[in-house]
Amino acid sequence: MPLLDVQNLKTYFHTRNGVLRAVDDISFSLERGETLGIVGESGSGKSVSCYSILGLIPMPPGRIEGGKAIYDGKTDLLNCSEKELRKIRGKRVSMIFQDPMTSLNPFLKISTQLMEPLFIHERMDKKKAFDVAVQALEEVGIQDAVQRMSMYPHEFSGGMRQRVMIAMALINKPDILIADEPTTALDVTVQAQIMEIIKQRQKDLGTAVILITHDLGVVAGFCERINVMYAGKIVESGTADQIFKNPLHAYTVALQKSIPSLHEKGKPLYTIPGLPPVLIGERTGCSFAPRSELPHTPEEAAMDGVFTEVEPGHMVEVHPATVVNYKQYL
Amino acid sequence: MDDYLILDNIKTYFPVYKGLIRKKQVGIVKAVDGVSLSLRKGEILGLVGESGCGKTTLSRTIMQLQPATAGRVLLDGKNLCELSSSKMKAERINVQMIFQDPYASLNPRMTVYSTLSEAIATRYPNLGRRDMLERVSTLMKTIGLNPSQMKKYPHEFSGGQRQRIAIARALAPEPKLIIADEPVSALDVSIQSQILNLLLRLTKEMNLTMIFISHDLSVVKYISDRIAVMYLGKIVEMGDAETLMENPLHYYTKALNSAVPVPDPDIERSRCRIVLQGDPPSPIKPPKGCAFAYRSPLPHTQEEAEQEGHLKEVRPGHWVEVHPATVDDYRQYA
Repeated sequence: MPLLDVQNLKTYFHTRNGVLRAVDDISFSLERGETLGIVGESGSGKSVSCYSILGLIPMPPGRIEGGKAIYDGKTDLLNCSEKELRKIRGKRVSMIFQDPMTSLNPFLKISTQLMEPLFIHERMDKKKAFDVAVQALEEVGIQDAVQRMSMYPHEFSGGMRQRVMIAMALINKPDILIADEPTTALDVTVQAQIMEIIKQRQKDLGTAVILITHDLGVVAGFCERINVMYAGKIVESGTADQIFKNPLHAYTVALQKSIPSLHEKGKPLYTIPGLPPVLIGERTGCSFAPRSELPHTPEEAAMDGVFTEVEPGHMVEVHPATVVNYKQYL
Repeated sequence: MDDYLILDNIKTYFPVYKGLIRKKQVGIVKAVDGVSLSLRKGEILGLVGESGCGKTTLSRTIMQLQPATAGRVLLDGKNLCELSSSKMKAERINVQMIFQDPYASLNPRMTVYSTLSEAIATRYPNLGRRDMLERVSTLMKTIGLNPSQMKKYPHEFSGGQRQRIAIARALAPEPKLIIADEPVSALDVSIQSQILNLLLRLTKEMNLTMIFISHDLSVVKYISDRIAVMYLGKIVEMGDAETLMENPLHYYTKALNSAVPVPDPDIERSRCRIVLQGDPPSPIKPPKGCAFAYRSPLPHTQEEAEQEGHLKEVRPGHWVEVHPATVDDYRQYA
């Protein structure tokens, strides 16, 4: 039984200009201790899908139009009360955000922020909580943790702040850690440190990690399974090896082709023609068809793609405009 | 002499004050500390380093947006540091910047037309309406936007399109030198490649000289002819892009190189990554001697760490800071 089972999740935003289908009918599951990567461009719905699970979507304008997110076989996170959700959020499922500058409260000492989850979820006394918090800081590689506890976030560098965030997210030993672009705002060297720490802590605690990112390089080394999202839908899903060695969806192929490090100098970089689709309003047919270089007729473009399992564990949206030789998979 | 831009021992220091009413200078931040380099016409120089290493301060010093504490900036033989502010204004037409965040660097209350025409007017102040319109539309075509969109405001464009507008604005006064400060860091991979292609094409077509600042080595490697690596206000290694990438000598360059994730699960699993310990030192209280020594895993004694490293030309065109803590087997270069 998967630890988290998301089925047909739909999150729409009701804006003045119409209904924006940010997440449109996606399903995925997460096993205990597993690392799942969600990749896609900005606006593809990768963050919104995870925020929906934790009930962090501002409503209105957002609305979860349907679906289930079964946690641990019992609780449906999308349909439970706020009270129940509070018991899970921050304890069983926690989150790291992109920008450590804005996700820590600048007015509160690190100690206050680190100990808060312990008071709320574990009802620990102050002394015990302090010790646990110091240990948590040491575990993410912060030296002089006791002195650091009485400092404010502005006294920390960007990489240190992100370490504090990791310590805070993992302090209650959650089952699931959702990391939303945890290293995008950081330097490459610090990024390597942070990913190393997340990996190490995951090994220690057996936490499942969902890593949301637009950087294909980061997921390659870190994730066991990868979901590729495009225009609010998962278009391809598989193990890291399947996605990188045998990508089937044209979008996955194109994303990989446009990475500069794989290019020879002097040759122009590959670019995906066209722009991501506007997500407002009713959509019919394949959203990738207008940008696809595969031959397809207008009638075919108006057809919906079929999300099919093409080999064990490897799912892809099969459509004339997305997969080469699509007929063999139908 | 075909060097278009020469930086001669540039130092940019910032005083640190303490106290609200009676301000007392308590220290000095050496943001840029003795940088010398030169750029040929038409060359692209990549400038890499972690945040806080002085990349941006250096570019601001070249633009004279931040006066240099010492040293000379020679642009086409003219020393920019000695120019009066009005003369500098005229000279600045030749040097333009592209910034990281196209959301913040475009005026939200100006249409594309007014943004671009303002920039064009710095070079051609007496242009008639029709000529101006024509110039704006050619400019928009060069950077790949439809001229029919010139009456739109920045918020009506996507991130990639906005960065194109920012590039168009930088090109509008027909500059000779472009300083691009992390122009693609805020963009998605697919958009990033469009912008990089555009920059490469434009530098070739217009024979532009460019300084490309980034912390992403894979991007810098792709776009630059030469690369300079900065660490705490100093250049620690400089050379041809190819040589520097394939055969880096400074340990910091090696670490930067190995920190870049490779989009291949096999390589990622098998590679041994050099993860540097700790953060870069605070520039207010830099360690004595070699600033890299305490992060370096290379064997060195405390005494050695307190000695300064020296930039040496180890091969033609390949400069590296030679110090026991920075290069393997440093004696061979001494």
